[in-house]
Amino acid sequence: MFMSPTLNQSHDYVDLRTRKGWKLLGKKIWQYKWIYLLMLLPGIAVTFVFKYMTMPGILLSWKTFVPTFGDKSLFGYLASSPWVGWAHFSRLFKESAFWTATANTLIISLLKLIFGFPFPILLAIMINEMIFKKYKRVLQTVYTFPHFLSWVVLAGMAINLLGDTGVIKRFAMLFDPTVKDSWNVLYNTRYFRTLLILTDMWKEGGWGTILYLAAIAGIDPALNEAATIDGANRFQRIVHVTFPQISDLIVIMFILSVGNMMNANFDQIFNLYSAPVYKVADVIDTYVYRLTFQSTTVMDFGFSTAVGLFKNVINFALILGANWASKATGGDGIM
Amino acid sequence: MPRAKEIPAPRTKKGNRIQKFNVFDAVLFVFLTLLGLIIVYPFYNTILVSLVPQADYTRNPFMLWPERITWESYQFVFDSPLLLNSMANSVKLALAGTVYNMILTVLMAYAFTKPIPGRNFFRFYMVFTMYFGGGLVPFYLLIKALGLIDSFWVMVLPSGVSVTYMLIISSNMSALPKELEESAQLDGASDIKILFSIILPLTLPILATFSLYYMVERWNEWYNAMLFLKDTAKWPLQLTLRNIISSANFISTQAMTGDVRPPTYGEGIKMACIVVTVFPLMAVYPFLQRYFLTGLTLGAVKG
Repeated sequence: MFMSPTLNQSHDYVDLRTRKGWKLLGKKIWQYKWIYLLMLLPGIAVTFVFKYMTMPGILLSWKTFVPTFGDKSLFGYLASSPWVGWAHFSRLFKESAFWTATANTLIISLLKLIFGFPFPILLAIMINEMIFKKYKRVLQTVYTFPHFLSWVVLAGMAINLLGDTGVIKRFAMLFDPTVKDSWNVLYNTRYFRTLLILTDMWKEGGWGTILYLAAIAGIDPALNEAATIDGANRFQRIVHVTFPQISDLIVIMFILSVGNMMNANFDQIFNLYSAPVYKVADVIDTYVYRLTFQSTTVMDFGFSTAVGLFKNVINFALILGANWASKATGGDGIM
Repeated sequence: MPRAKEIPAPRTKKGNRIQKFNVFDAVLFVFLTLLGLIIVYPFYNTILVSLVPQADYTRNPFMLWPERITWESYQFVFDSPLLLNSMANSVKLALAGTVYNMILTVLMAYAFTKPIPGRNFFRFYMVFTMYFGGGLVPFYLLIKALGLIDSFWVMVLPSGVSVTYMLIISSNMSALPKELEESAQLDGASDIKILFSIILPLTLPILATFSLYYMVERWNEWYNAMLFLKDTAKWPLQLTLRNIISSANFISTQAMTGDVRPPTYGEGIKMACIVVTVFPLMAVYPFLQRYFLTGLTLGAVKG
């Protein structure tokens, strides 16, 4: 029972232009029936239910939402909601909050790219240059740990440190007592984005070094020895040996980050932001969330679906671009 | 220019070259240590605030060493029915979720090592969901229609298969020598038997890594719970913590946690909650670090 063909039988070429090919295909599918049923099907089914079955809901972007009461059918809300054409999209492009959110998403992602992206590379090179092996392990444990914590926890710690009664404010008051009433980074539009970038670096910087450290460990030691014999000092070795050797990985990681630009980390922003900083911190994901669940004006689910769709389409286009760029630079695609 | 004769670098007994500790090393040492301290300090501060009495904290929040220690905050946490309930929910969620995720992931990863017809189609089917979805409202309406609102399983079921983990496990499985599987097949072992007695034991370290990742993800779950669980008795620890942290004054926290005692030390209790939430991970992390850190680099195996 549950036996798929032995591997050496399984490489017959299936040519679908011939009847024989179709028969062979049918035979192969039958041979692998247990693989399909027992192994592939559970995952495919769960993915279908929780991922693919959300997709028909996209149609709400062109409808005005009318809830159905007592209707237990899956897409009853689609049938009961009348079409409104492109009304949501034309409203969307006139909505100033939407443009703020879009601009914030791009600005925050860009800042993270400029400051957050090079940080793990530099850190990895520095960790690699560290000569005390045991101490290096300890530091790595410390650096990578925050990656595994949720933003709920980190926001809790950040609010305690930076909030009105927090240590940082008390510390700042030692130097300048006038900050007593004004200085709260969490509510200050001038510092909030900096706070987002720094906390992101704090959490993910150490984790980001792992791939680079693995790449550095894979560099042929002969290259470094040759450079040393040629009289290169440590700094020259970093610039002329280590860095060129990991540059391919850097390019791939950069392309992936650019492809991910529309996702400005909902978890982080949602747990740290508050009404006073919406102006600089509201990104599309948080905007959609508040539209959907916290809107005080008359809200249409159709409208927030349209906003979400707008983001998803741009995001998908960026991913396709990244996929293309990744293949063009000789890497593997991501799709 | 001809070089002077190489002077052999000094070596230790084991033959390692002794590196000279120069200014560069000193700067590096100081910088990396400082960075380590910057990462450790918030944790240290959290533990301190949770341990000192309120009077000490209000007088001087910037302390490096507690003058007096009190367990009041922790007593509050472990006396609160809501928090105890949340802890139990989180443990349940982490265990049930990990088992569910791993079963789906491992079975699918193994299926993808077989030359089954339609493999590329199914691979694309999975990868596509990483980059495109219906969005928040359709997801909300779907969960509602499925009747999962206010159900424990809303935190478990939608997580399903992590496509990245599945593909990494799959490529590691197919990197195993084919002869193992072939000889087992000749001996008449079924696919299930091959999976459980050959493939899984050989990929055990990788499975440990991804089980840990799934467990951490489920432990950190709060988003679906926030959207769909109205009943506080079903909340996981992270969501309860989130609400305690964001409640502006402590009276509302106490109202929420069902505590009737007079208002006590808010910051201390918030920090005690954080310590309790982080503690399980902090306790195992240094010992299981090997597994936690290998996940990303495992992806380098070509499938």
